[in-house]
Amino acid sequence: MPDKTITYEGLTPGYKFPPAVYELSASFVSKYLKAVDSVDDGFVPPLAITACAIAAMTKSIPLPPGTIAIHASQELEFFKLMSIGATIECHIGVAQKIARGKMSMLILEIEVFDKSKEKVQSGRATIALPA
Amino acid sequence: MLTEIQEGKALNPVVRHITQEKINLYAEASGDFNPIHVDESFAAKTPLGGTIAHGMLNLAYVSEMMTSAFGRSWLSGGKLRAKFKESARPGDTLTINGKIDCIEQKDDVSYANCSFECRNQKGEIIVTGEAIIKLSSDKR
Repeated sequence: MPDKTITYEGLTPGYKFPPAVYELSASFVSKYLKAVDSVDDGFVPPLAITACAIAAMTKSIPLPPGTIAIHASQELEFFKLMSIGATIECHIGVAQKIARGKMSMLILEIEVFDKSKEKVQSGRATIALPA
Repeated sequence: MLTEIQEGKALNPVVRHITQEKINLYAEASGDFNPIHVDESFAAKTPLGGTIAHGMLNLAYVSEMMTSAFGRSWLSGGKLRAKFKESARPGDTLTINGKIDCIEQKDDVSYANCSFECRNQKGEIIVTGEAIIKLSSDKR
């Protein structure tokens, strides 16, 4: 997933990271449910899917080591329930990059699709970073 | 699930205690091992002064409240907008509250507009936001 050739300065609106593919395995869902203190309802919690997308996103952003990036806001829309064992593809792109004093805001668009390219969820994340 | 969906109705709150163990479990599940969440000595030297929970862990509790209230309508027709105002830290007890602010009708479909907030034991707002749920016609 990480594009080793891109730098943080090179992230401009419209830039798309290479897609990341995840399998929503039983062991992943079980770990997720344990982490969030929830119970198995027979489906993959939508926020478990978002967690994959966010992980893909954080691994993709080329930041200098030691940089503290804070998740400032999140928008999400859920379209489709996924079953355990399904495969998803996360697409992440840069929507906006804003400098505000000593902080920089990176706004990323997230889209998640299933194997048949149907949209599972979409969203927008705002990450605050030191400028 | 809520038996009655009406304006002003409060959603059943969710209460969760944050521990470093839970944060580590969330890091393992999500693959997000940012040291600000999992490395206590690194985090202690930052302006945050210690580790913080992943914002998405806090948001998972919000989604749990919405799932418990709206079931599948939330899971495959929900929409949310959340702002992470403060960080949740190990030792915090988070209480997530929400209510149905209004029910709107658009093109013969009903939507429940909800607001929610997540506060710590000191009453500080950790997450705040709004959610919209597309309701099936038999919900009203």
